[in-house]
Amino acid sequence: MKEAVLFHVDMDAFYASVEQCDNPSLRGKPVIVGGTSTRGVVSACSYEARTFGVHSAMPMFQARIRCPQGVFVQGRMKRYEEVSGAVMDILGSFAPEVQQISIDEAFLVMTGTEGIYGAPLEAGRRLKQLIRDELQLTISVGIGPSRFIAKMASDAGKPDGLFQVLPGEEQLFVNSLPLSKLWGVGPKTIESLRSMGCTAPAHLQRYSEAQLRELFSPSLGSYLYRAVRGIDPGILMGAPKSRSISNETTFEHDISDIEVIKGYVLELSHQVMFRTMQEHLVGCTPFVKYKLATMQSFTCQQTIREPVLNAHQLYDTATKLLLGRWDGSPPLRLVGVGLSSLTQEDTVQQSLFEDEQSQRQRDVEQAVLRLRERGNRLSKASSLARGFEKKQK
Amino acid sequence: MKFIADRDILQREILIAHDIISGSNMISILSNVLIEASDNTLRIQATDLKVSFQTQIPIDTEIPGSTTVTCDKFLNVLRSFPEGDIDFELIENRLVISRKKERINFKLRCIPPQDYPSFTTFDEKTLTIGAQDFSEMIEQTIISVSDDETRFYMNGVYMEPGQNSLIMVSTDGRKLSYIERNLSSEVPFFEPVIIPPKFLNLIKKTSSREGSVDIAVSDTHIFADFDSHHLSSTLIEGKYPNYKRVIPMNQSKMCSIASKEFMEALKRVSLLVDQKSRRLLIDIEGDSLILSSEEQDLGAAKEQLTCEYNGEPIRMVMNCQYLMNPMRVINSDRVVLAFQDAGKAVTLRPDPEKDFFHVIMPMS
Repeated sequence: MKEAVLFHVDMDAFYASVEQCDNPSLRGKPVIVGGTSTRGVVSACSYEARTFGVHSAMPMFQARIRCPQGVFVQGRMKRYEEVSGAVMDILGSFAPEVQQISIDEAFLVMTGTEGIYGAPLEAGRRLKQLIRDELQLTISVGIGPSRFIAKMASDAGKPDGLFQVLPGEEQLFVNSLPLSKLWGVGPKTIESLRSMGCTAPAHLQRYSEAQLRELFSPSLGSYLYRAVRGIDPGILMGAPKSRSISNETTFEHDISDIEVIKGYVLELSHQVMFRTMQEHLVGCTPFVKYKLATMQSFTCQQTIREPVLNAHQLYDTATKLLLGRWDGSPPLRLVGVGLSSLTQEDTVQQSLFEDEQSQRQRDVEQAVLRLRERGNRLSKASSLARGFEKKQK
Repeated sequence: MKFIADRDILQREILIAHDIISGSNMISILSNVLIEASDNTLRIQATDLKVSFQTQIPIDTEIPGSTTVTCDKFLNVLRSFPEGDIDFELIENRLVISRKKERINFKLRCIPPQDYPSFTTFDEKTLTIGAQDFSEMIEQTIISVSDDETRFYMNGVYMEPGQNSLIMVSTDGRKLSYIERNLSSEVPFFEPVIIPPKFLNLIKKTSSREGSVDIAVSDTHIFADFDSHHLSSTLIEGKYPNYKRVIPMNQSKMCSIASKEFMEALKRVSLLVDQKSRRLLIDIEGDSLILSSEEQDLGAAKEQLTCEYNGEPIRMVMNCQYLMNPMRVINSDRVVLAFQDAGKAVTLRPDPEKDFFHVIMPMS
């Protein structure tokens, strides 16, 4: 069997880069995207802004103090979705199999493409060039023998990165990372690890899997056991028969800016939708979960007749549900989006009425499906590359 | 107020009142039924503020008067009596319900009728239709009404005038039922309306199916007078989808089956279709129609029927319930499944054709 080659593609400072791309006068300047109200929070910032110590989720007023010369821009979610779609199109024509995991991230299965693109590093270089030529955006590419490693490799090279972890060097690579860079390990876990005296992945390797399962929950224990050894713990491998699919984000600082929260909901909606599609499921019950700064948690859901077909629909329902209950105060500590009442995709009941809007949405859906189907046949990779050339004309 | 009424006659009308009221708040006057005795008739009135009902029955009035009494309890009390005449008397805000012979005596607390919502009726009827015809139209269409509250405009039956005919349509976006009945009298133009199913179910359930129904339509209400009943309902506001656009034309493939056999096979195979998706496979080839369920944890079912079919072998996947509901009301010896392609809409209609059909979208 051929050695697995996975790419993780991450668009650098995505929202800010789109702004710089659409408005060339912003290039090279510290662009800060987020709610522009006084209670606003930074939802993204360009690397120029980061050198001033600005980072996402930072309160806007603080960003203004640190970076008074910054260009402050109100986010445009619709536009970001559009550009994201264009990037995914390119990825779809480049790689045999694409798995989009959020608005600005995707995994590419590049196993067996050496014949077309050369060594993985060379393929990564070509991909970066392609995106730069087409859309004037920079991406970071992480290459590894598993999704888990590739994801962390792209982070290691950021921005404009290209970083490969060779098969056999996973353990070395993981050991070189701080715990906070370990994918799937959040602030809460780090805190409890620290209280055990573990501040680096190597420290955790002393524990057996059974011990970790005992110390944490069984699932987190097993996850950590594999993660610190550089073995893919199976994120996004699509555990079958999950009864709901959801994802959530805990903020570094509590957020009360509605626009910023919407940005998070959009991102989460994409992640949830792509996982749902990956598992060939459809769901009729979108839900949102949120936790207030006061630590109270709430979940609200709505069951609709027709299954949620795309991320935008999920985002729409999720924001409606959230904003029906929450108006910006008290601030939020966590927001999550999910989809339940899942059924197999092939049992979808067809509708008599297809208004134009949902017809278009369905077309998009089907295009994504086709992409995925194409990806399953590696022998066609070369024709994909040709298809892409055609597209460029 | 003092009167004597026959239990069976009164109980039948209170049961209708109960159907309208049930579900409303126990402590409000809306959970009460209004009774008014005068000139040897008892007027009975009930409402849930949307659907209102009024009827009259013959009684022996000794002292005229009116009151309102909790409908639910009133019905139960009536049911508990042996058949025959019952004495009713209003004494100090209590309705005394008694029969001397058996020494039965109930006292029900009443609410004075002054606050009871008044019953509005219509000035001019829009059309008259045979009671049997109207009940049949309701029967064919009520099965496809949507209960999805997010699509409230589909939560009723759409009614519009045709050419000397009356058209009723219902759909939930996945199936559609259509009937166009020719009327002997002219049908004047009226603005199409969306009628709540509660109103139509009441007509279907209580109509004697003899004589005719007078129907009146206003901007906000629909009224129906039949037998001794007056019924009214608010209409559903909203824009009904353009149903004409989705009624399939040019379906060249037809499969004709004996109704009874088909229905019984559906009932059997439906026992083992997936309970959530209700997915039923239909394979038609030559003169064979095979209904089957997919393999479930519990098992599978399969049944072969004889049919008359003029097209290529085809497999269709459908929600079993969507076939069974219309099959229950089609009421004809044979039915036809008409379609063009596997993924397209299927029309289920009686064979030979009548004035109604049902369109069903398959699963993909």
